[in-house]
Amino acid sequence: MSTAVQPLEKPTTSRPAGSSSIWRSTVMHIFLIAWALLWLLPIIAAVVTSFRTMDDISTHGFWTLPQEITLENFDQAWNQARVSVYLGNSFKITIPSLIGTLFLSSLGAYALARYKFRLNLPIYFMFIAGTMLPFQILLLPVFRLTNSLRLYDTQLALILIHTAFQMGFCTFVLRNFMRTVPSEIFDAARVDGAGEFLMYWRIMLPLSLPAMAALATLEFTWIFNDYLWAIILLQSDSLKPVTAGLATLKGQFNTNWPVITSGALISTLPTVLVFIFLQRYFIQGLTLGSEK
Amino acid sequence: MLSHKKTYLVLAILLLVCAVPLLAQDTSVSYNSYSSDPVPRAFDESIVALWNEAHPEMPVNHSILNHEDFKQAIRAYLVAEPSPDVLTWFAGNRARFFIDKGLILDLSDMWAANGFDQSYAPGFNALATVGGSQYFLPTSYYWWAIYYRPSLFERAGITQVPETWEDFLGTCDALNAAGITPITIGARFRWPAAAWFDYLNMRTNGPDFHINLMLLQESYTDERVKATFAHWQELLDHNCFVQDPAALDWQEAVDDMVQERAAMYLMGAFIVDSYPDDMEDDLDFFRFPIIDPAIPVGEDAPTDGFFISANARNPQGAQEFLAFLGSQEVQQMALNELGRLPTRTDVDISGVAAPTQKGIALIQSADYVAQFYDRDTTPPMAEAGMDGFMRFWDDPASIDTILQDLEAERLRVLEEEGG
Amino acid sequence: MAQAASVTRNTRTKRRIDWTPYLFLLVPLAVYFVWIIAPTFYTFYLSMTNWDGIDPYPKFIFLDNFQYLFTKDRTFSEALINNLRWVVVFITIPTSAGLGLAMVFNNEMRGGRWYKISFYSPLVISLTVIGLIWGWVYHPRAGLINGFLSIIGVEDPPGWLGDRGLAIWCVIIAAAWRQVGYVMVLYLAGLKNIDPSFVDAARVDGANRWQLFRRVILPLLAPVTTIVVVISIIDSLRAFDLVSIMTRGAQSTQVLANFMYIEAFNNYRMGYGAAIAVVLFAISMVFIIFYLSRVIKDELEY
Repeated sequence: MSTAVQPLEKPTTSRPAGSSSIWRSTVMHIFLIAWALLWLLPIIAAVVTSFRTMDDISTHGFWTLPQEITLENFDQAWNQARVSVYLGNSFKITIPSLIGTLFLSSLGAYALARYKFRLNLPIYFMFIAGTMLPFQILLLPVFRLTNSLRLYDTQLALILIHTAFQMGFCTFVLRNFMRTVPSEIFDAARVDGAGEFLMYWRIMLPLSLPAMAALATLEFTWIFNDYLWAIILLQSDSLKPVTAGLATLKGQFNTNWPVITSGALISTLPTVLVFIFLQRYFIQGLTLGSEK
Repeated sequence: MLSHKKTYLVLAILLLVCAVPLLAQDTSVSYNSYSSDPVPRAFDESIVALWNEAHPEMPVNHSILNHEDFKQAIRAYLVAEPSPDVLTWFAGNRARFFIDKGLILDLSDMWAANGFDQSYAPGFNALATVGGSQYFLPTSYYWWAIYYRPSLFERAGITQVPETWEDFLGTCDALNAAGITPITIGARFRWPAAAWFDYLNMRTNGPDFHINLMLLQESYTDERVKATFAHWQELLDHNCFVQDPAALDWQEAVDDMVQERAAMYLMGAFIVDSYPDDMEDDLDFFRFPIIDPAIPVGEDAPTDGFFISANARNPQGAQEFLAFLGSQEVQQMALNELGRLPTRTDVDISGVAAPTQKGIALIQSADYVAQFYDRDTTPPMAEAGMDGFMRFWDDPASIDTILQDLEAERLRVLEEEGG
Repeated sequence: MAQAASVTRNTRTKRRIDWTPYLFLLVPLAVYFVWIIAPTFYTFYLSMTNWDGIDPYPKFIFLDNFQYLFTKDRTFSEALINNLRWVVVFITIPTSAGLGLAMVFNNEMRGGRWYKISFYSPLVISLTVIGLIWGWVYHPRAGLINGFLSIIGVEDPPGWLGDRGLAIWCVIIAAAWRQVGYVMVLYLAGLKNIDPSFVDAARVDGANRWQLFRRVILPLLAPVTTIVVVISIIDSLRAFDLVSIMTRGAQSTQVLANFMYIEAFNNYRMGYGAAIAVVLFAISMVFIIFYLSRVIKDELEY
């Protein structure tokens, strides 16, 4: 029942490697490398294409050596296609949503993990059910709600729906994590006269940081990559996140695949960076949700 | 204990306060347009720049969306509050659909105040009018025709452009024999296929039947509709079209002509926007061939323009900007720079390029001018219809089922409208 | 630990109702209620109206929308079948591929970390980008696949997204490509939680690798498999972005989520769109309840 964060690279088996297996392992590595490359081919091809010129691609095709390497496509995507603006918007939407959802979820999770009360389990189940909801069921009412709150075409509308929608998953994960924190710690604090909110703020929150970090990493990519809500709740080009902006790129640079792929790659950069540097947390976030 | 509850409450209140939108009062006008192709986009942006220079007190916030996304997104825009102020749109039933739902601002006063009642051709005034009031501002139109590359015709030994159906099939055969795909089409977004239906139907059954079908007053299971598809089938039998049109954007199909893979393309005059400038000498067009000489000739000449949302945040400013968009000055520029035909009578058309003159002549010689399939019929019907055309393309044998489905949709739309 | 916590709870509840947890839950629940719970129920109401998105007083038509959906609407059955195909592919291909990869990478090996990164990196890429990139991979002219096929001399290569029979499978494969890494991560975590002594005991009994996998590891992974299957099904039902970007539901690739969007926002049949959403919800609910019932069982063991 443990949901505690575990180190990823934990040795599991300790089979001694025999000398006969060297040959086998070489074959396996060749096989694995080939497979991994094939697996990443669409991405690798996109990267290669983004450095080539349109003329080169259209006359020689993709499966040839590049005639020249250019950064022109990135420049076009960044400036002309306004990926720079869209990217900024993505951050303006993602960061507050992330903070909002983590904060609210931690409050709810604290209550669900620490207290016994009649509605504890029903509320908990409600949050779990919410994580699996097809969001299409929310589309029309949320659209209507943002209209009547005069929030349509504001980034706040997106922030609110992301905060609310991601709360289910975060509460679920955090609640399970918080249950593993021994309550003796809190008893001691209570003796010292600490109030409930202070215990949450000073003790539980710091203790939950590993789980929060894992969640934050995962949620960052999820919220950052949202497309549906962005196209439903926004209309001004200047407010759009990069996912919605990219769709426009396809219209503006129809067949100019180098520019389209460079735009796509730039837009992917933040999540890839988060992934590379916080990979451990990302994986933990994914598994935290499932180890129940 | 209590103090922490207070802290918590303060936090809660803070969060709620954050949730209250900041309603900034400004005089700007938001303008959403679909001109995403590079040439029209540059023109659109230059017009907005002109306005912003002259009216710093009422700047226009311009959002350009990819053409195909715009068509989908506008529906949400118009029912949203606040919605964008000024929007590009298409005349005909496509505008009517929104007007009937009360989503569009009545522009009668703006029309009168700017003398548009006099300066716009009566046909276009009628196109903008519903129940005695104008709701739309048609600012330009263009023609549809079969574009072709004379050099490729020459290579295939074709000496003159086809005027009859038999000529046309012969042209296809000759091109095929020369190893050139006769006709290209990029139908990823389906409407280029609708052009084929429009023309085949008008040439087979006449404009009267066509427009009644568009208005849902004729049945899709009618024998006459089947006759239209029989002609379409002939084209498929003669291998007239490129492969996999459903995977291509309309602009990608233009490349087929540029790169000499295909010779013809049934397209609107805006095709030149996506055609390389230095190759336009080798691009010409001809009228869609006549199938039955006894039938009046109909042409597609879609009209584009603007309207203002009924939920507009700044309707006053929007109307001022719209008056500018509909001015003689702007229409003259659209004609000179984009080759879009003017809807005003006071635009000077004497100096236009030869292709534009030919296009004007094409429209003027027509007995009837339709808009386009997805503008003439209602949006849900157009949605189903264009799906049906693409299904036919892939599986011509199932034409009976397809037409039954279209008929079912027609009856459903009628019922919806009635109820 | 759970007992320790309940000691404090019991002493409290005996005295009076403790409002503290509710106070903590006040704002989260309020937000959740306004944006998630209430909208869900509102959609149920909308699904029984003929609301067009504009009329403030939509007509209540009870189950008419559903009747039309199930008896007359061909696109609906097309979408339903496509979602079903999606589910079938998702619970077979990514699940087995992800499990296989997890089995391989569970052992320490040189470069294991990089292999793993290769396989789960598609997971961080937005579906918008995946749609764009795969749209290009499948492109009949300039695309990666057909470019390759023409080099090796294949005449008349398939049209992929342009081929009505292939299009939906092309979209699903792009989605499955992304899903494999996710499944692999979940199984890797599951494998780490397996007590090595079970494996060792089986090995002592002389089980070969396949037997070990089939008789020991797979049963022990059953809880993870449940989650993987539930997640796969839910994700398949939600599928929207890829279809919307790659084909927009044309070419017989309609799925419920995109169909709902088109009907609601394109055709202003908001009530009808809501009905599609409700169907989607009902199907999901079967699996949500299945999953919840397992969670409940776990909780009651406390």
